[in-house]
Amino acid sequence: MHIHELNPWRTLIALSVFVIVIIVGFLTMSKPLLTYHLNMVESIKEVDDTDLYFYPWELESVINKETNSIILFDIRDNFIYGQGHIPGAENMSANELSKEDNIKRLEELKENGFTVVLYGEDELQANGPLMLFRQAGFDNIKILPGGYNYYLEHKTDLKSTENDDSFIKGIPRYDFAEMAAPKDSGTKAVADKKPVQVQRRQKASVAAGGC
Amino acid sequence: MIVLAFGTIFISKDKEPKQIDPQQLLAELVQPTRYVTTDQIAKLIIAKDPSLLLMDVRDEDAYNEYSLPGAINFPIDSLMSKDYLGYLGIPGTKVVFYSNDDIKADKIWILAKRMGFNSIYVMKGGLNGWMETIINPAEPDETEPNSAFETYSFRKGAQLFFTGSENESDETSKIEVQVRRKEKASGAAGGC
Repeated sequence: MHIHELNPWRTLIALSVFVIVIIVGFLTMSKPLLTYHLNMVESIKEVDDTDLYFYPWELESVINKETNSIILFDIRDNFIYGQGHIPGAENMSANELSKEDNIKRLEELKENGFTVVLYGEDELQANGPLMLFRQAGFDNIKILPGGYNYYLEHKTDLKSTENDDSFIKGIPRYDFAEMAAPKDSGTKAVADKKPVQVQRRQKASVAAGGC
Repeated sequence: MIVLAFGTIFISKDKEPKQIDPQQLLAELVQPTRYVTTDQIAKLIIAKDPSLLLMDVRDEDAYNEYSLPGAINFPIDSLMSKDYLGYLGIPGTKVVFYSNDDIKADKIWILAKRMGFNSIYVMKGGLNGWMETIINPAEPDETEPNSAFETYSFRKGAQLFFTGSENESDETSKIEVQVRRKEKASGAAGGC
């Protein structure tokens, strides 16, 4: 006779303990540092969102410490950051963004209602981290278009950047079709006659010398 | 036990379609390895490399007006369309995104990467950069290193290739000769 048949309760107890252990295991599973908060459709919508831009002329109030709700993060390497950065910016180099401390810091800033502005060498460098953090639910993160390079060129007169669009990306700067248009057939016809013309030219110059 | 087994089915259904871990995505997107230069693309197009798949991520009108040779229009909504996604992730191909410059292409790269696609790249500089380097390359200064001149002579050749000249061998040199001829002819006439 099996022992369980003696006490049917034991079976039930064993089963419920098993279930509880599994449930506890699920609940205490280590939570990943980053999870997606935006699904693909929402992320695609955000691609053309210009609200994510923190424009260079808006920097002035940050540099002059007129506002303290904005934190600048320089994502360039620590060494390059040391050579010069926007006043007041903190360094959080791109390679260290995934460190737990840094993500905790960003979470803290988000909870306390700070706006975080990322900038790199140019807009492209900060674009990836911006998108990732936005998709991971940090809706307080923005980007400085033009990046540090643009800031450096215009730091003496940030106000004037309001009338400048050279740092704005996504605009065609040329008439592509016209610029890359095939050379018209007229040029080609002339080109075919060339070898003859070369000979004539030489003779002409000799004659000129004789005179 | 049976209840738990059913539970696991629901867990896997909750998740979005295939996508990579955010942490892994972050690690990959801080690497600049996804960027290719306009020169590299020009070389691949000239060599008719069959593994190159150019994706023009601008809208359809812009694409119809001008696009790189062999490029496929891949507007951003394509990321949600199964037909278009079929272009990505074909073994043995290199997919290169380009836009007017590189930001939009880079964004699409990140979204595609999140969906787990590999061997995808971004053409740095985009079409603006293409015009500046390939279609209308700037001559290097005399002080610049030799490599700058080598790049320039490659670009000059590529320029002829892409502006569609048929006698691509030395059209520009012929044009220069023509100019000289005119000057000398008039000079001789004056002398006599």
